[in-house]
Amino acid sequence: MTISRRTLLKVIGAAGLVTLAPAVRSEAKIGPDSFATLIDLSKCDGCEGKETPLCVSACRTGKKDLFPKVDKDQLLNYWPQKKYEDWSDKQHLIDRFTPYNWLFIQQVEVDGKKISIPRRCMHCDNPPCAKLCPFGVKHKTAEGPVYIDHSLCFGGAKCRAVCPWHVPQRQAGVGIYTLWQKYLPVAGGGVMYKCDLCRDLLAEGKTPYCMVSCPQKAMTIGRREDILNQAAQLKEDRHGHLYGMDENGGTSTIYFSPIAFDKIDKALSTNHNPKEKSKPVPLHNAENILEKQNLWTQLSLVAPIIGVAAALGLTRGETAETEDK
Amino acid sequence: MATRIRHSLTVRITHWVVALSGILLLFSGFGQLPLYKRYNLIKVPGFAWSSNYEITLVIHYLTAAVFTAAVCFHLVYHYRRCEFSILPRRGDIGNSIKGFKAMFGLGEEPYHEKFQAKQRVIYTIIGTTSLLLIVTGLIKSYKNLGAIVLDPIFLQWVAITHTVTGGIFMMLFLAHVAALLLKNHRPMIPSMITGRIDRGYAEKHHPGW
Repeated sequence: MTISRRTLLKVIGAAGLVTLAPAVRSEAKIGPDSFATLIDLSKCDGCEGKETPLCVSACRTGKKDLFPKVDKDQLLNYWPQKKYEDWSDKQHLIDRFTPYNWLFIQQVEVDGKKISIPRRCMHCDNPPCAKLCPFGVKHKTAEGPVYIDHSLCFGGAKCRAVCPWHVPQRQAGVGIYTLWQKYLPVAGGGVMYKCDLCRDLLAEGKTPYCMVSCPQKAMTIGRREDILNQAAQLKEDRHGHLYGMDENGGTSTIYFSPIAFDKIDKALSTNHNPKEKSKPVPLHNAENILEKQNLWTQLSLVAPIIGVAAALGLTRGETAETEDK
Repeated sequence: MATRIRHSLTVRITHWVVALSGILLLFSGFGQLPLYKRYNLIKVPGFAWSSNYEITLVIHYLTAAVFTAAVCFHLVYHYRRCEFSILPRRGDIGNSIKGFKAMFGLGEEPYHEKFQAKQRVIYTIIGTTSLLLIVTGLIKSYKNLGAIVLDPIFLQWVAITHTVTGGIFMMLFLAHVAALLLKNHRPMIPSMITGRIDRGYAEKHHPGW
């Protein structure tokens, strides 16, 4: 069989294009019309005097249909480990992320001033939780929200490990793994839960529960471009600070604070009671695990070209002979 | 002992590069599933790092680059040299069944050339699995480059295909190694190291070569 130079060039060209096309489009960004939110910490007072902050109770009421409904018979150890994660008896907790509490208020004193910080999923632009899920059941949408498909999640909790703020939380005894765990307890640990930015409400043109309920109007949602402009303006006008613009590669949640975030973060870790089981959710300069490895990602994408080029180099003379025949 | 050349140096290097990178891909790929902490591999001395997703991801990217380059090299190299004797032909499925039966003393081996029918079929299965892993892996790598949003359901199927195909690849790899440990296949092992195979074995099992 002989190969014409033209055929060969077509094959190489096609192979090269397959590899190069993604690289060219890799600068695609989250669209300006997607949703973003701004949380103004100078306005939030943590609903002083109330047992539960209104945003927290609104979230818990509004999203309760999505909370896990545990079959106690399915609460089995993660074999061969002798433990499982069950929050069903701790649904009342409102001071941390749990499968039943997707938003909480962190409070800390900095320079004699009490600061209240609503914490929930940041809905990152390049979310490692979604992109590293081995079964792709955590989704980043073009509209902005990052959400979990509860019907397909195995609860491996990798998303929690790669999230700089460890937002997603696991509940055992629910989800697809309950189909087999009694017979073959080798994979799965439940389902992961976290804020989905009320994507169902957004699709209907409504506002997320937490934002509607805030008496201080500390949280706003809108077009990404508008929110980013608003945040930049706020920073300039009030000589404040922003968090969430670049952290973890950029997010759809921007915090504004008159006090520097590194100061707040330091206070969060200093004031933390080490006897408490839950660790404070930081406000640090979070690095994105995916962005750190961009060089290796690019190398894997150009690998086909390297292989093809090596083969062409090694067989150059042979083709000439074949074509000369 | 009389021998003859079965595999060139290039073929052997490509084979071992694919094999070694494949093993590392399997190890780092399973590391991307949350397995090593749950199954206590991290307690084995020297493997405490194995549940660190960042480390296993770097290993996965690097070995994926080597594996992908080697597979692409293999395809273009043999295409350019017009070497297609390992590609499946009509009747290979039937002859493979006969060949497998013969492995266990049930009937005679069919007439073979350089590659047996079952070797051609297995090559096709492993090759297709590898290509599926490469294509889905490239899509997964691409979407990790930055704030890139692809259709979530498309990505879900890509991820599931990649993960499930990775499991199939591991089983094929184990079957490949297990088959070589069978007594009547063992003489093939030296040919993947030195390139030469026992002439008597070749005449018996590959008479048409």
